[in-house]
Amino acid sequence: MKNTLFTIVAVSITFTISCKKEEKIMSVDNNDSIQTVQEVAPKPELNQELYGLYTGEFNGKMNTTGDYDSDYYDGVEYKKITLKINKITNDSVYGHSIVNGNQRPFRGIFNENAKSFVLDEPGNDQTDGRFEVHIKGDSMYGSWAAYNKSAVKSGKKELKLVKKEFVYNPNFMLDENSDLIDWSNPKEFKERYTTEDGKENSYTVEKNRIASDAVFKLNASKQKLSEKDLKNLRKLDMEIIKNAVYARHGYSFKKETFRHFFQQTDWYIPISPDVENELSPLEKENVVLLNRFIKYAEDKYDQFGR
Amino acid sequence: MFSLKSKPYSLFKILLFIGFAYFFWLMLKITLEYIPIQKNVSFLMIKQTEVEERQEYLYFFYAHVYSSIFVLLSGFFAIIRRNFGIKNFHKINGKIYVFLLLLLAAPSGIYMGVFANGGLWSQISFVILGVLWWYSTFKAFLLIRDKQFKKHQQWMWRSYALALSAIMLRLWKIIIVYLFAPPPMDVYQIVAWLGWIPNLILIEFLIYKKIL
Repeated sequence: MKNTLFTIVAVSITFTISCKKEEKIMSVDNNDSIQTVQEVAPKPELNQELYGLYTGEFNGKMNTTGDYDSDYYDGVEYKKITLKINKITNDSVYGHSIVNGNQRPFRGIFNENAKSFVLDEPGNDQTDGRFEVHIKGDSMYGSWAAYNKSAVKSGKKELKLVKKEFVYNPNFMLDENSDLIDWSNPKEFKERYTTEDGKENSYTVEKNRIASDAVFKLNASKQKLSEKDLKNLRKLDMEIIKNAVYARHGYSFKKETFRHFFQQTDWYIPISPDVENELSPLEKENVVLLNRFIKYAEDKYDQFGR
Repeated sequence: MFSLKSKPYSLFKILLFIGFAYFFWLMLKITLEYIPIQKNVSFLMIKQTEVEERQEYLYFFYAHVYSSIFVLLSGFFAIIRRNFGIKNFHKINGKIYVFLLLLLAAPSGIYMGVFANGGLWSQISFVILGVLWWYSTFKAFLLIRDKQFKKHQQWMWRSYALALSAIMLRLWKIIIVYLFAPPPMDVYQIVAWLGWIPNLILIEFLIYKKIL
């Protein structure tokens, strides 16, 4: 570790940046239906084989010029979305979408012949919109359009989803080929140089944090972590080890940093904005320890002190 | 006493005074994090293994924290050898320094050194530091009782150079983290040694050159 230390630093200098722990929202309504309709007899449920989780890409073309009507775009936004179909009847479909830690119920209709859905989010959130998707085998394709195109970065997005079963497995880890750079929290540094004629100049460089290979070795869902295990880790390492626990339970991350790391795996399926109650006693204990060390790293690592 | 008469303050001494005041303020703020006494605050956040497994750890830890801040201050007043018009100011501060250090600060430092973060290399460093600190102070104490002023002064400089490792270690830490951002315990292993060895070499050099 010590030998590689300066090399790592030289290659991609990493600085811990104040970045609060991935917050858990406690008060999200898990009720999928928009309005509970009182009915005397429950309607027969149809196409139950289509129920379940569809997860995959949610990509949109971004237009940063502010001219949202033109076809011009200058960036692409990559996200991961999960759609959950809970119930299909002859005139309604119920479920929810979840992206970036934001779970939104939807309601819509299913066209049996075309095997297609039109699904509407309620509309009381800026990021709500309409999905138009169709089923092909175990995949789901289609698009989404925001109701309010000027409220979101990209008002129209493409979906490419695959039906998946969510299973919790404590063995899931980040893939060893993962990109370990945290691109979301660059820190700016002023570099100075002297030109040939003796003038002092400076320019700013952005440096990103990089995780160590400890994130492939320590599994907070399986082993009881000790202080000794964590003492030589930087904050980012500990944040990843901690959030891997939440990722295994299908937590939908709000922070770009953790979406980036876990979306690289094929096992991560965001299914809930709050998984706190799903954690095993071992995981809870480890999270308490990790939180303490993350706080210490945040408060003390680059400060005058120990 | 031979050199306690008033001399004009040199610029160097004024800067030294301001510098010390600044770092003493930082050390005082660290000390205040431990008031009131808590089991898991600040540095203790990553020391819960020792706190839980060793009943005596917290006693040693708090003996060190609370005594050391007075040791640092009284040592500074004593080492500048001015009485500021207060009778026996040097002597009083010297006594506070010697007794707090010999009875509390150094022994507790040695104890904590045995369980220091960063593994064997930092443990060795902190234990050696503690032992040298205690010994140099004790030696200086015996010398003044024997009225050997020059030697007393030299040994006190050694002692206080080691005391200043508290500040130097933390200063080096900031510099190393800023420049290289290594993992925290790699920093710790480095600053465990960097905190006191350069200080001691400087003092030995000054004594050798007969500047002190």
